[in-house]
Amino acid sequence: MIDAVLRTVREAGQALGVWTLLGIFLVAIAGLLLIGRVPLRYNFRNLSIRWRTTLLTSLAFTLVIALLTVMLAFVNGMQRMTESTGHPANVLVLADGSTDEAFSTLSPGDVLEIENLQGIGVPPIVEEHGRRLASRETYMIVNQPVPDAPRGRPRRRFVQLRGCDDPWLTGRVHDIGLMAGDWFSYAGVREMPQAADETAIEAVLGLGAALELGRDRSPEEIRSARNPQRLDIGDTFQLAERTWVVTGILDSETSTFNSEIWAKRSLVGQIFGKNTYTTLVIRLASAADAMRFKTYLLEEYRGTAVAPQLETDYYENLSETSKQFLYAIGFIAVVMSVGGIFGVMNTMFAAISQRVKDVGVLRLLGYARWQILVSFLLESLAIALVGGLLGCALGSLCDGWTVTSVVSGGPGGGKSVVLRLIVDADIWATGLLLTLVMGLAGGLLPSINAMRLRALEALR
Amino acid sequence: MKLLLMIARNVRRNLLRSTLTALVTMVLVFVVTLVWSILRVLDYVTTEKAANFRAMVTERWSIPSRMLVSYAETLSHGAARNPDDIEPLDSMTWQFYVGTVDPGKLTRESILFCIAVEPAKVLTMMEGLDSLPPEEEVLLRRFVDEVERNPQGVILGRNHLRNLNKKIGERIKLYGLGDFKGLDLELEIVGAFPAGRYDTLAVFHRDYYNNTFDAYARGHNGRQHRLGGRSLSIVWLKVADMESFRRIAWQIETSPYYTAPAVKCETAASGFTSFLEGFRDLVWGMRWLLAPACMFTVLLVIANAINISVRERRLELAVLKVLGFRPSHIFFLVVGESLLLGAGSGFASAAGSYLLINWGMGGISFPLAFFDRFMIPVEALWWGPAVGGLAALLGSFLPAWSAQKVKVAEVFAKVA
Repeated sequence: MIDAVLRTVREAGQALGVWTLLGIFLVAIAGLLLIGRVPLRYNFRNLSIRWRTTLLTSLAFTLVIALLTVMLAFVNGMQRMTESTGHPANVLVLADGSTDEAFSTLSPGDVLEIENLQGIGVPPIVEEHGRRLASRETYMIVNQPVPDAPRGRPRRRFVQLRGCDDPWLTGRVHDIGLMAGDWFSYAGVREMPQAADETAIEAVLGLGAALELGRDRSPEEIRSARNPQRLDIGDTFQLAERTWVVTGILDSETSTFNSEIWAKRSLVGQIFGKNTYTTLVIRLASAADAMRFKTYLLEEYRGTAVAPQLETDYYENLSETSKQFLYAIGFIAVVMSVGGIFGVMNTMFAAISQRVKDVGVLRLLGYARWQILVSFLLESLAIALVGGLLGCALGSLCDGWTVTSVVSGGPGGGKSVVLRLIVDADIWATGLLLTLVMGLAGGLLPSINAMRLRALEALR
Repeated sequence: MKLLLMIARNVRRNLLRSTLTALVTMVLVFVVTLVWSILRVLDYVTTEKAANFRAMVTERWSIPSRMLVSYAETLSHGAARNPDDIEPLDSMTWQFYVGTVDPGKLTRESILFCIAVEPAKVLTMMEGLDSLPPEEEVLLRRFVDEVERNPQGVILGRNHLRNLNKKIGERIKLYGLGDFKGLDLELEIVGAFPAGRYDTLAVFHRDYYNNTFDAYARGHNGRQHRLGGRSLSIVWLKVADMESFRRIAWQIETSPYYTAPAVKCETAASGFTSFLEGFRDLVWGMRWLLAPACMFTVLLVIANAINISVRERRLELAVLKVLGFRPSHIFFLVVGESLLLGAGSGFASAAGSYLLINWGMGGISFPLAFFDRFMIPVEALWWGPAVGGLAALLGSFLPAWSAQKVKVAEVFAKVA
């Protein structure tokens, strides 16, 4: 039943849009301000005289809305990351039945056949400098011991490794460049006399990976490092008992590639026992061509059965995790809002019980019952609005924070990502809308109560 | 005693305010209970145990772990090869399999994550299933015996039974996905796991699974399935203590048998910690932002309610002082009211959550790593009153202080 309620609220919200709903609310409040004749000065004076009660109630709203803002910023960051990963004209080919790169196996023969497809009905693959933009990749998750792990932290971590035949080509297909350094060389290794095995495997790191691996350095190494925050060009790290050297840093902060290490596929495949490909990513001329290519592979291609999908669809499916978090956040927001509603109801009932005589005087002065209702309702909304604005402002302090999480499209699989919390105008609108709804729901019953007081009885 | 009666009467005096305050406390304590229940499970699985714990042997470098099936026998004995080597108390092998009942329509509900095991070990080696209530243990033992007798039998988690709309006794066909493509299984549902931790799991006989590989080779002119002999995912070992674990881990990691692929041996807690590392910031937020914010909100609400109550009863408090009540009595009167409200509604919330979530809903549905559902533990019955009581105590301190400092002369002067 709770799922059904959340789904209904969400669908109604999506249909109307949060800005539309907020707009309706604000217009309604403005209307109330215009038609309500009880002087606002009276309401504000009461709020300021009972400042402790007003402050405590507003603070409760502040906490609820601030929490909601932070939680929504997390989901927002996750959704933006998965949505901005992938090119609309790319087709990502996995093995038939695979839902995740980690569980896909494509043979070199299959990959060669697909990337050389041409003919009637086959949209042409984009070429640059005489080369087809088709990236053969081997994606794997590797276990790495964490040296001198502090107490309470894991002694191992999972590292996302992508083996590429040609990193420039892979970067070109995924539309990712380097923010520093160079792609690794054709050989994929370089001589490092200071390394135990005298050669180091060349690697390009996502910024998130560089930050994470940079934390493994000893305090002395960090002090003398070119970049204390992260690994930089020329820095080395250990993985699978081999020395690896950083040749470049990916410009991938807004994508899931941010947490990956790219290296020569033939080397890493041998080290980790994965000598086949997992993924073939092909660039077509347009999104329409990509769709036609995908359909061709699904319906007409007579070679090995594969699972092609638009690259944007693949990464969008990874946002399944963010949907689950969104449901959880929605549930918590609803529950905490109920708490907030009862809180403001308590305050307003108390305020009205202390101002029964005021209500009687207002009625004798000629104010109508509905104007009494509006007056107290506006007080409740004012408390909610102040608390909500403070909450949005407090929650907005988390904008730009980086956090780690996991995105996954289903059982098994999943990518560990480093993402930024993003507070945007939509989140502010959601926070303000929720606070106004809480203020309205909490203030309505007490205001109706006040409205029903009889003048003479109130003054007795 | 009189004081306690007065406290109870005062709480009843303004039923509306007391009820609203109690409702807010119950709602927010409910959120704290949910969060702490999830954190409790995560903390339990990631805390190193001192004795009788499990170690896991997996492939050293790659995820998913794919060890040679031939490793199973020697690893189950802790790779003991010298006279003074030690062996684990018990062991269990896991071979993962992912399949779907509907290859044409891949959805979360149609995909099953299964484990091929030695059926008898289900009752001795699987966390939580080795200490079931007697009636559940008898039932599970019956299911396990059925799988022993019928290698095509499968024990399903309750989520799968619901999603597949199947009952015990019915058959399912699973079509392998991804690396398991080509390995299709025909299984008969012979039982269901108790509700809770294993709701999204399926367990079947490893002999049937290994035979499926042989059948694949026979059907493909002797060509092995791409997984080949590398379908062993985890070997679980039960060890007596940390010293035994270190010895067995050394035996395994220094053994010349396990080189291609290399293996590693770690405690289960260490393994789970690695898996959950990706969620560390989320867990941190739940522990240090969400739960404390809820508790602080309870504090604010109770402080507000008590503050209003004290302000309304200044005359009454002055009369109590005239009648001989000391400031400390008045202080404890106000704090007592707050504690009764806070702790009482906290307990009601925790107890209600325990019954509703565990028995009514089968647990908190919050997919996190390999956990699908979390149950509210019995400890929640003291969490509720503790959280509500502590918030009430802290929130009522200042209003109670203000109440005990009421000046009789000032109050009566105002009345006059």
